[in-house]
Order: sequence, then C-alpha cells, then structure tokens
Amino acid sequence: MDVKNVTDIALTAGEILLANGAENYRIEGTVSKICESYGFNGECLAMSNGILLSIEDTNSEKITSMKKVKDKHVDLYRIELINSFSRNIEIEPLSYDEAKKNLEEIKQAPNFTMRVRTIAACMTGFIYTLFFNGSIIDGLASIIICLITYTIFEKISQLGFFQFLEFYLAGTLIGGASMFSHFIIPTINQHNVITGAIMILLPGVVLTNGIKDVLCGDFSAGVAKFCEAMIVITAVGLGIGTSLFIVLKGL
Amino acid sequence: MLFKMTLLAFLGSVFPVILFNIDRKKIIWCGLAGALGWIVYSIILSITDSSVISSFFGAFAVNIYSEFMARIIKTPASMFYVPGIFPLVPGITAYSTVIALVQTDFTVALNKGILTLAIGGAIAFGIMLSSTIVRLISNIICNKGRTI
Repeated sequence: MDVKNVTDIALTAGEILLANGAENYRIEGTVSKICESYGFNGECLAMSNGILLSIEDTNSEKITSMKKVKDKHVDLYRIELINSFSRNIEIEPLSYDEAKKNLEEIKQAPNFTMRVRTIAACMTGFIYTLFFNGSIIDGLASIIICLITYTIFEKISQLGFFQFLEFYLAGTLIGGASMFSHFIIPTINQHNVITGAIMILLPGVVLTNGIKDVLCGDFSAGVAKFCEAMIVITAVGLGIGTSLFIVLKGL
Repeated sequence: MLFKMTLLAFLGSVFPVILFNIDRKKIIWCGLAGALGWIVYSIILSITDSSVISSFFGAFAVNIYSEFMARIIKTPASMFYVPGIFPLVPGITAYSTVIALVQTDFTVALNKGILTLAIGGAIAFGIMLSSTIVRLISNIICNKGRTI
C-alpha cells in the first residue's frame, strides 16, 4: 500500500480518537501500530488539539503530516470501535478502500437519541439526590431541574459559546431553580437537590484521562486535561455560588 | 441500608455513562464497577472512619476491576473506571465549601475545601497506584513468556 494512503488511514483513526476524548498514549500507540502493520515506520505526536505524524517511505524519505481537531466531546463507544479496528488491522491488513469504509462506518456509528440522553440525565439527578440522603420529593424536584438544565445546556453548546460560560450558566440555573423549588414547596431540601443535580455536569472522563496521561509520562497532555476539568468544576461552583449569593443576600 | 445504597450506586453508574455514549451490551458491567467501588468504600469507612482512606481503597478496587475486565472483554479500561468512580465523588463536601464561602465563613470553607481536595487526590492516587501495579504484573508475565 502507498505511503499516502497509510498516512490518511492512520491520521483519520487518530483524529476520531482525539475528537472523542481518548487518552494521548492511546492515540500515539494506535497511530504508530497502524503504520507498523502496513510495514512503515511511523512516529506520532499527539497534542491536546492536533496530531503530528512523521512516516518514513521506501526511499527513506520522511513525510510529515498534521491534523487539527477543533470540536471535542466524550464518546466512549467510538474509542472502543477504533480500538477493535486497529486490533483487526494488526492481525490482517485491510486494503485502502476497505479500511476507509470501516472508518466511515465508525464515524456514522449510532448515538443515543436526544430523548434517551435527557431521560438518563434526569435519572442521574434523581439517583444522586437519593444517594446523598435526599427524600423522594427532593428527587422529583431534581428530575425537573435536570430536564430543564440538560435541554438548555445542549441547545447552548450547539451555539458554540465559551466552555466556561456554558458551565457557569448551567450552574447558576441549577442553583436558582433549586432555591425556587424550595420557595414553592418548603419541604424540599434545596441542598440535597443541588448536590444531586450538579452530577450531570461533572467532567469525569476528562479528569480521569488527565490522571492516566500524567501517569504515562505525558505531562503536557495530562496537565492540559486536568486544567480543563478544573475550569469546568470552578465554573459550576461559581455559578452555584452566584445564585446562592443572590438568594441569601438579596432577599 | 447498605443494600439500598449499593443499588443506588449501581444505578448511579449506569445512568451517567449513557451521557458518554457507551456500547449497549456493556452497560451492566459499568454498573457493577460502581457497586463494587461503593461496597469497598463503605466497608473501609466502617473500619477506619476516614473518608479519605476509604475513597482511596474504593478507587483502587474500581480500577483493578476495570483493568481485569478490559483484558477479559478486550475493550479500553476507561469504559469501566469512569462510571465506577462516580459514586465516590465528594459532591457534598465540595458543595459545603461553596456554601461556606458564600456565607463568608472562611474557617469552615478552608476545612471543607481541604477535605474535598484530599478526597479527590486520594481517588487519583488510587487509580494511579492500581494501574501501575497491574501494568507491572502484566509486564512481568509478558517477559517471562519471552525468555521461556
């Protein structure tokens, strides 16, 4: 197979991994493994928003190519599909057209529908409100608040705001709505509702991937991910603090 | 009480992972990771009475479980430990810090803030230590196979 085609396949696989929130050592390993299984010597460097691949062709000339990834989100299913794709290629190298078709199929892999995700977000709020010693009524209030917050949050993130502002607004909304539910029905404990509902905003994947990257010696990526998670947590905390401040001091 | 909390921890690991789009057949294994982490957490908590040490052991158990499941079902380990640590997250202490800051009660805020950081660090250290141990063991097994 041609060097250009190998570069194309390896970089596309790396791009899918990076866009769906994989760890950096997994991206670098997968890309060089794909190059190796076609008999080329490839070196890969993954950063927080792009991949560099330097590959040596048969005349021992080096070709370097780069791919930048703009919008990132977390999708564990596609990471798993790319993982099995690279394992298959290692056992039996596919032709260019077949590999390209497989990668296109992975890009089009099914997502959970918006309705299922909204229900899951509502149930997360409900379960964690009960988990943090809330009563059933607190849980029901948390379901309604999560429904509102998650729907608005998905709409806002499609507009493409800054990440900090998105999470700040979501935190403010959760805090304000919980206080408001306490004013309507005084038996609701607003603290339990807030602790349950903020669990849907928690950046779990980014934080644990940052830890794993630091562990594997990839400090630049690990610290970048850790900072991203900390900014999200700070934004949510600030948002809740704002609404608490307004309610406690303003009324 | 323990049964109810374990069931809640199971469900509490199943639902957040749907937001991260996971393979439908593996959802139940994610739930088991959360339940296992919570059981270990509550056992250690009843012995030592320290939420930092119990969070450490909870995260340790979750990561050992996920590394082994990753080798059995042949998927990335992040499938299992990401939902597994959700029930261990110090939500209440983090929230108490924010409340104390708003009420300008800085002594309590410092107390709770350091506790939150300690629990977070314990979870991170639990994941680090267990994945290092698993990698060490698998390296030793691989090297043995090569020399023999």
